[in-house]
Amino acid sequence: MGNKQTTFTDEQLEAFQDCTFFTRKEILRLHGRYRELAPHLVPLDFTNRPDIRVPPTLIVSMPELKENPFRDRIVGTFSEDGLGNMSFNDFVDMFSAFCETSPRELKTVYAFKIYDFNRDSFICKEDLQKTLTKLTKGDLSPEEVSLVCDKSLEEADLDGDHKLSFSDFENMISKAPDFLSNFHIRI
Amino acid sequence: MSSEPQRPGSREVHDYTEEYGYHSDQRSLRRDPPRVSNQNQPQFDWISPHEEEDEEGSSGPPRDLRATPLPMALKRAIRQVQQMQVPVVSSRDSWKRKNAKSLRKLKDCGMGFLSFFSLWSKTLQKIGGNFGGGVQSYFLFLRFLVVLNFVSFLLIAGFVLVPSIVFRSVGAALVNSTGQEACMVYDPNPEGLVVFYNYFLDLLSGTGFMEYSYLFYGYYNNTMVEDKNISYNIPLAYLFTAVFYFVFCLICIIARMGTAARVVVATGSSTVGDYSMIVFTSWDYGCLGDRATKLKQKNIHYQLQVDLEEESIKKRAAALTLSQKIVLYSLRVSMCFVSYGLIIAAFYGIFAATEFSQVKSGQGGILGLFFEYLPSIVITAGNFVVPLLCDQIALIERYSPSTTVIVALLRAVFLRLVSLGVLLFTLWRQITCEGAENTGECKLCQYNHLLYPCWETRVGQEMYKLTLFDFLINIAVLVLVEFPRRMVVDNWSNKLSQWVGRQEFEVPANVLGLVYGQTVVWTGALFCPLLPLINTLKFILLFYFKKITLFHNCRPALKTFRSTTSTFFFLVVLLFGLGLGTVVMIYSLSEIRPSMGCGPFRFFPSMWSIVPTSFNNLSIITQDFLFFIGSQSFSIPLFALSCVVMCYVVALASVYGKSVALLRAQIKLEGRDKQFLVKQIEMLSRRQQILKQTAGASS
Repeated sequence: MGNKQTTFTDEQLEAFQDCTFFTRKEILRLHGRYRELAPHLVPLDFTNRPDIRVPPTLIVSMPELKENPFRDRIVGTFSEDGLGNMSFNDFVDMFSAFCETSPRELKTVYAFKIYDFNRDSFICKEDLQKTLTKLTKGDLSPEEVSLVCDKSLEEADLDGDHKLSFSDFENMISKAPDFLSNFHIRI
Repeated sequence: MSSEPQRPGSREVHDYTEEYGYHSDQRSLRRDPPRVSNQNQPQFDWISPHEEEDEEGSSGPPRDLRATPLPMALKRAIRQVQQMQVPVVSSRDSWKRKNAKSLRKLKDCGMGFLSFFSLWSKTLQKIGGNFGGGVQSYFLFLRFLVVLNFVSFLLIAGFVLVPSIVFRSVGAALVNSTGQEACMVYDPNPEGLVVFYNYFLDLLSGTGFMEYSYLFYGYYNNTMVEDKNISYNIPLAYLFTAVFYFVFCLICIIARMGTAARVVVATGSSTVGDYSMIVFTSWDYGCLGDRATKLKQKNIHYQLQVDLEEESIKKRAAALTLSQKIVLYSLRVSMCFVSYGLIIAAFYGIFAATEFSQVKSGQGGILGLFFEYLPSIVITAGNFVVPLLCDQIALIERYSPSTTVIVALLRAVFLRLVSLGVLLFTLWRQITCEGAENTGECKLCQYNHLLYPCWETRVGQEMYKLTLFDFLINIAVLVLVEFPRRMVVDNWSNKLSQWVGRQEFEVPANVLGLVYGQTVVWTGALFCPLLPLINTLKFILLFYFKKITLFHNCRPALKTFRSTTSTFFFLVVLLFGLGLGTVVMIYSLSEIRPSMGCGPFRFFPSMWSIVPTSFNNLSIITQDFLFFIGSQSFSIPLFALSCVVMCYVVALASVYGKSVALLRAQIKLEGRDKQFLVKQIEMLSRRQQILKQTAGASS
């Protein structure tokens, strides 16, 4: 099986395989990608668990994330300090949540966190407006933005508090047929 | 942070987010504890109620750990805890867990191995990333058809082609000649020297050296091989393979529809509209490249605008006065008639062209080739012109945009499939002398033996020509229209070229082309056994050509095509095509007399009649068993049982629907309860504060 790699101990690879949806080969490949971002910062040898964090500006320069309008929110959600400095654990976590085999429930949880800009665990109208503006890069007029946000809230808000809680969001996502295939980053 | 009360039995993910909902700070969303026990009390408590439900071993902790929304370090800590628990847990549980884990590893290995074999997966990923899910669904559909055709070819080769080749020179004729001498005249081989370019013409039209070959029905023999060990009845094999081929295709399509249908059913009866879904789920996170993302944004913008426009159209439609409504509806009805009139005119054109072509058959040279291909030319012209006109008509009808797309698609499907039906009907008319098999030229042999000494081969040739022509037209359009268009648009920058713009990849039109091609193959498979192989090659080449034109000539379409519901729609349309092929096959098997000069069914009154004949050769026990299965005492209980099963499934589905509605109402109630309790808490705390203040003031 080619056990010549010295990046991780076998025990570490087992742990990664149990905690993410990646295989051995893919984890080693991810390590290669992580190291590419900052070769002088990230060591080749992870066996003694170095505590390295790559700053967000380097992470969002990856081709998979570069053009994503929500890249800052994604990186912020998955990083431990909330500011975007990602350790390798966070890096693997992020791509595991976005991979093809990750289940719908997991993706829904993370989608909610990404769209919750002010992190109050509700998606209020301002969060929606920011989401929509990022989506359309200012192509819509402010009245249209407001109209679409009002309509979205009207459709999805079940408990009538004019903001989306996680259960409202989850209920709405379960009706969307394209969610699983769209919420997927190929790495 | 106070410790949360344990809530055994509630959903773990929901628990987790509820807890974070109450406890999250502004500073950081997650922390990285070195050990689990001291800092994050809620998470650690979260895992223990779940441990109590560990009776189901395989869906227990190892699987759930991957799907839990916790940071990696926490997951690893939990995993360590689980591993430390192994000696404490009973040996049976740990054995179950190890089993589940190794099974999962095996499954992952197996998936990895299979994905090695899946065709073109990297290409499809690239297409999906750059052009979106709609275009990718077209290519996925094409890949499905390639695999289906190839497997069907293997089936036919294994049961019909290879035995025919092997047993060509041995074997006895099944039934000796009993018919008229005149009916058995069939001489497909050309006489004497043939001009060189005739080979090329023959290749294109399936005549000459290609007619009397394994390609067509006429070459197969009416033999049955019986040896000491083996016996092989070629006609029976031919018949059963053809029938099984249709059944196999039906099963494959329905299996593939199953997954798509599940999504459609789950999202079908939704009261949630489009806006929230567009805002939250329309961005494709796998989108790569600067140009693709800009287009995706324009796409979303367009979608939202379309939805807003539909809203305003609905409002306007509701505000119409009665007289305006009457005008609109009468306009729609008249336009409907116009479009159906166009379609019927196209059908008449195909009918006339086919008759003319059959009358003029036998002419040589280029003109002869033109006459041979006349039906295909007229069908293709009709398929090209009529949908264009129908699109213009749909614009006049002023439906909402989504309805317009669906109406146009349905009309195009109708046109394509029924035009094929008209061609077949015309052929049938000539073969069976318009249905009256005992009159005129058909009196001698019950089919028109003067015009068609071997009518099955003739039908096979027509289908072969249709397939080939369809392929050539696709290539011609690519080379003569799309590449020049791109070169003109790129190199000439004036107003006209900007307005025309680059080609868009039209998914519905292309999918209909695929369905049409596959329907032709299904119709012709009985008469031209190698047609699935030809179609496999055609579709493989088409994949590469379409890929090239997509990447070089096309820009992503501004109008989207929902990928998941559209897959279901493609498969439904494919089923229509399969239905047409089945009707043709059943009719040919049972109603028309096989040719007496050629083929494995000569001298039989119908193709199906070989089954009763061979039936008598089976052993008595098998015969009795088959009679029993067909008898009433078996079929009636079977029918009753299937009714019971269906009732059960329908009841189950309605119960699920009701419980979904109940749960939705419960969510609403819980939300209101939450608000009420929060208000109560606020009131109580205010009262407490007031009491404290008054107590402090008074003391």
